[in-house]
Amino acid sequence: MAVAETKKLSKKLEELSKLIRAEIPWEPVGPTPMPDIPDIRSWDMRLLKTYQPFYAPFCDLCCLCTYGKCDLTAGKRGACGIDIATQQARVVLLACLMGCSAHAAHGAHILEHLIEKHGRDKKIDLGESITIEAPHIRTVLGLKPETLGDLQIALEYVFKEVGHLLDSCHTGQEGSALDYESKALHAGMLDHVGMEAGDIAQIVGFNYPTSVADTPLVDMGWGAIDKSKPTILVSGHNPATSTEVIDYLREHSLEDQVEIAGVCCTALETTRYSDRAKIVGPLSRQLFFLRAGIADVIMTDEQCIRTDTPQEASKVGAAVVACLDKAMYGLEDATDMEADEIVRRMVGNGEHFAILDSAKAAEVAVKVAMEIAPKRRKEWLAEEEAIELAKKCNDCAMCEQVCPNLCSIGAGITQLAKGEFEPLRVLFNECIGCGKCEEECPRHVPIFRLMQVAAGNETWKARAGRGPIMDTEIRTVGAPITLGTIPGVIAIVGCSNFPDVDDVADMVEEFAKRKYIVVLSGCSAMVAGMKKDADGKTVYEKYPPDFEGGGVVNVGSCVANSHITGAAIKIANIFAALPLRGNYEVMADYVLNRVGAVGVAWGAYSQKAASIATGCNRLGIPVVLGPHSAKYRRLYLSRKEEDDWQVMDARKKELVETGEPSPEHLAYVCETKEKAMPMIAKLCIRKNDTPQGRAIKLNHYISLYKKYMGGGLPEDLHLFVRRDADIPLVYKKEVRAHLQEIGWQPREPVGLPTYIGTYPSKVSIDAVIH
Amino acid sequence: MSAVLPRHRVNVLTGIKSARLVEDAAECANYIQKAKRPLLVIGPLLLQSQADGKLLLEYALDLAKAGGIPICATAQTRGKMVELGVQPDCVYDAVEIVNALKDPDWKGVRKEGNHDLVMFFGIRSDLGSQGLSTLKHFAPHLKTMTLCKHYFPHASYSLTNFKKDAKWQEFLESLIAELQKGG
Ligand code: SF4
Ligand code: SF4
Ligand code: SF4
Repeated sequence: MAVAETKKLSKKLEELSKLIRAEIPWEPVGPTPMPDIPDIRSWDMRLLKTYQPFYAPFCDLCCLCTYGKCDLTAGKRGACGIDIATQQARVVLLACLMGCSAHAAHGAHILEHLIEKHGRDKKIDLGESITIEAPHIRTVLGLKPETLGDLQIALEYVFKEVGHLLDSCHTGQEGSALDYESKALHAGMLDHVGMEAGDIAQIVGFNYPTSVADTPLVDMGWGAIDKSKPTILVSGHNPATSTEVIDYLREHSLEDQVEIAGVCCTALETTRYSDRAKIVGPLSRQLFFLRAGIADVIMTDEQCIRTDTPQEASKVGAAVVACLDKAMYGLEDATDMEADEIVRRMVGNGEHFAILDSAKAAEVAVKVAMEIAPKRRKEWLAEEEAIELAKKCNDCAMCEQVCPNLCSIGAGITQLAKGEFEPLRVLFNECIGCGKCEEECPRHVPIFRLMQVAAGNETWKARAGRGPIMDTEIRTVGAPITLGTIPGVIAIVGCSNFPDVDDVADMVEEFAKRKYIVVLSGCSAMVAGMKKDADGKTVYEKYPPDFEGGGVVNVGSCVANSHITGAAIKIANIFAALPLRGNYEVMADYVLNRVGAVGVAWGAYSQKAASIATGCNRLGIPVVLGPHSAKYRRLYLSRKEEDDWQVMDARKKELVETGEPSPEHLAYVCETKEKAMPMIAKLCIRKNDTPQGRAIKLNHYISLYKKYMGGGLPEDLHLFVRRDADIPLVYKKEVRAHLQEIGWQPREPVGLPTYIGTYPSKVSIDAVIH
Repeated sequence: MSAVLPRHRVNVLTGIKSARLVEDAAECANYIQKAKRPLLVIGPLLLQSQADGKLLLEYALDLAKAGGIPICATAQTRGKMVELGVQPDCVYDAVEIVNALKDPDWKGVRKEGNHDLVMFFGIRSDLGSQGLSTLKHFAPHLKTMTLCKHYFPHASYSLTNFKKDAKWQEFLESLIAELQKGG
């Protein structure tokens, strides 16, 4: 190496060491602190060898530059030379970058807000049960963050990498789909760092619950809102303003007089701050709720807040305050205006404003809500009236053609006209609340109003988000998870683009009952609570809130997803005592081969969901997606018997051809809930399972298969039975007979399975032995 | 052929190469009979009954029988098939079978080589459309056909958007009759 180059390298290393305070020896610094794009690439390529990208182009063309449009169909290349696979990978990377940026920028805004309040040196303290406060930041950066200021170091690193990755999307650069995938995996990993920094900041700065499992049960559903009171709706993800509203209400003793309700993740954030705040519901209920006119003032912050909020609000005479620069809607920026002047104009002229000072926004929102509420009508549609309105429908089915969830909504309306409510009730559960149908209807049937009679006024309970999993819990469950006796950790996460809202509660119930650990976040955490059993109980009331077999845990909003993946890292670090500092590959390899965790993003719709899932994948966690998610364009699928299932046995230092597709896929789409159930159970299988653990996992796989797939045994069961001891007791006879019939041969389980040693890596095989 | 819009706008074609519209059952049967190794992939929408009480799945089974076509059962369709006394030739989920099909060297369901015509029937239209897109782009070695009641531009051959289910059922019945006649 040239002298100049060595110098440059060591200079970079020097700077990096300073940033992560490498001299503090809490752990030795591993091979990849603050990795750049190529640093973990060989791990990615190893993953992508077994889990090859599967592309389903959503568009055959590319229109990104003025050479185009280019038709990339079936092998044709664009004017820049790109082919369809690489183009798909590029779009996936762009999606991941948007998602990662959304979280990291949310984190950066919150941090700025909190540093303004508490100073850079405000200590990070997550309570007595959490000492590994930031598993992602520790693993990826090699930094142990001690203050709010340290979290900024993490975010600055994320933004730097995002810049490089975005650059690579420019026309005429990267020419390999696999390299774009590696970059997308990099973006996904960064996303978990950004989310973690953001949520730690929130917990510390807003005093959210931490080191506790049984957070309060909060009210959910529009029925929980007292319509006689002024109502403020907070919408989006960033709690900087909603927390100010609560402070304002507290300081002015108005908590009993004004309702504060949230939709989407801000709802989850706000209920972490005050258990008197209410959750309206997931994103899919946003437009429905806006049009119902219950909210007097709508405060938008960022992500998933709809781009037509001011227009929708005006229709029902509600007022809008846009609180963040991400979405200013073309509104006048009133940040420097006197609060009373803003209130006067909002009340008098029906104007909406952007107010980027959160304290001022809070004051204005409360004052405006209190003034306009008494003048507004908030009536729920009566059934007779609904029937009359539905009679306008002439069954033309135009609405059905534009429904992104393929609902037969017109049929529901025609049934309603005949006085039948049930079909519309069923459809309301499938509706993702986009409003396309009503826009399309040539007869102007007010479909959303009609849905009021299907929606009812039921209320539910959801457990407030609790943040990170406690170290103490990890110590207890580490062994049973890696041995397989807790059959898996099922993380049901993310957005509300569900085939059917009820699916989520059904999944939670199915797996909690079977003593899996069920973890929830985001809109999924809300809808999990929107179904009651025969005794009128939701899953939150039925199952304990602990991170243990049979527990149902709400970690919080989207950014709290980092705590789920963080828990997987903590198992490697706390339970298996593997050092994590700058040691990403070892952590990911451990999780992939030994931690039976599966992500389920059943209603994923956003770019954030793409980056969260891709980050899970790099860390070795497979993700099951709902049917719409084929529109993400890319999955990571294996080919079962035809793929490379070779691992190293780290103890014997021998390569082993296991032939066992565990986990079988990394990013997978299921068409139905029925198919998803056994698939989720199967994806929890790991090569590390003990015979006892494997028998438990196979017991659930077989029993879910029988229950949902119509009896018999799974076609691929033989691939997961290593020895007779792996066969669950209840099915011994049936499985033995089947295995004998197909000529199954036993094989040795692998003592310490690892990918390390099967591909070129800086990591030595000894690094995975604990 | 004039442009046909898919029934669900989320599946609107955003490219140039679109499916040949097949409106005649004899023509449809002809494509199937010309194929050396056809495959029928069935999905969960077939578990719904029609107005006359007939299960859509029954059309699929009749069709497979008439044409001697192996069946790949996706999602939870296998259970109902078995109930009706027919074992599927293989069980994969939609994305898995598409993933296998795009490999020209795949041995196929009967281990006789990859299929040359794949018919999709009863898969959710957005997922189906995406799977067909995969095959259109990455599986030049095979042709695809859809038997659902809507137009699928990403297929090689597609039925039209049927306004009335009865017309569609009529088409399926004629197709089965054509196949029974043999080629
Ligand atoms: S980026 Fe490439 S493929 Fe896209 S329009 Fe430009 S030249 Fe064509
Ligand atoms: S609002 Fe609901 S029913 Fe209407 S088009 Fe959107 S998802 Fe479909
Ligand atoms: S578009 Fe309007 S009139 Fe037509 S079916 Fe739908 S609701 Fe009825």
